[in-house]
Amino acid sequence: MENEHEQSRATGDLPTYAVAFVDALRAANVRLVGTLPESLLKSVYVGIDRAEDIRLVRVSNEADLPGMLAGAYLGGMRALMITENSGLRQACEPIARLSFAHHVPLVMVVSYRGDFGEPNWWGHNHAQVMGPLLDALRIPYRIVDRIDDLASSVEKAFLHADASQWPVCLVMTGECIEGGVA
Amino acid sequence: MKRVDVARILGEETTTEDLFVSSIGGILDDWWNHRPGGEDNTLSVSILGSVSSTALGLAIALPHRRVVAIETDGSMLMNLGILCTLGAERPPNLTVVVLDNGLYECIGSAPTLTSRHADLRLIAEGAGCLHCMDVSSEDALRASLRSVLSDGELGFVVAKIEPGMEVWPAEKRRYTDGVEDKYRFIRHVERLEGIVVHASSPHV
Repeated sequence: MENEHEQSRATGDLPTYAVAFVDALRAANVRLVGTLPESLLKSVYVGIDRAEDIRLVRVSNEADLPGMLAGAYLGGMRALMITENSGLRQACEPIARLSFAHHVPLVMVVSYRGDFGEPNWWGHNHAQVMGPLLDALRIPYRIVDRIDDLASSVEKAFLHADASQWPVCLVMTGECIEGGVA
Repeated sequence: MKRVDVARILGEETTTEDLFVSSIGGILDDWWNHRPGGEDNTLSVSILGSVSSTALGLAIALPHRRVVAIETDGSMLMNLGILCTLGAERPPNLTVVVLDNGLYECIGSAPTLTSRHADLRLIAEGAGCLHCMDVSSEDALRASLRSVLSDGELGFVVAKIEPGMEVWPAEKRRYTDGVEDKYRFIRHVERLEGIVVHASSPHV
């Protein structure tokens, strides 16, 4: 895995997974992405920044994202949030008191920090609490580790969230993260 | 100037073409009785700290429509980071109106931190928001609203209000819950915009 903390490349070719990710967003008609950037999906943020048809809004705390995406949904715009899985913990309160209390769909994409083989000691706790937390919140989630599954996973996430009027989560790992392998 | 006066003046200075996201608390019944047209034009989010973020998303989704966030000092203080995002994005169709009484009035009037040295207007200015102003009289509020609602840029108005809650009779109190509010708001947006926001699942 390459140095995750290297400054994101503002120019140059993007890795295959990031190109496929942005293509998947475009295919699903996503027009807004809210994020607190992290390193495992760093090329995705560069790709979205380059995409003229998808707006990238950065926040300073993941707790801002359920509200922003709820507003976009109510205005008829497909939007999703991208954070590290640690961002789930910050977003818990607005998920519970806004997404749940009003039954507003929410599509979350998180990087699987702490997945098997995690080299950073500080990343393991993120994985240890991620699954139990999503289960406790009763949020359906799927792990996406193959580039070929990106587009269908994103589209299904929107269908599921809209039909259930409830949040869903996609957890990115394997081929679908920076420098990742199958 | 009290909270109900802000609701009345804001209702008079806006139209049935506008959309609103409000906080919970004392403003609920005041705004229910003063919202323009008595329409389902307001989502009152059931959480402090997510009013402006919800309004931001709505403003981005509907850039041609005026959106007003009806904030409170308690809600704003819960999540000041959103001001940095507002200051970065500067949505031209969004106006934030903060009802600042320096109190958590609904839960017994414990003081908020704006009762000490925190200044929401200065914080918003420092975060990059545009047209940030304090008002403490009805005339000043009306003048500021006329300015920020018509200038085509982000506006941030802190209405300094006195304590005091209007007591509405039972038949004038808001009676809906968060789920009903959402559906009513969605159907209102669909009528207003001529779009479909949510259709029930196809039978396949």
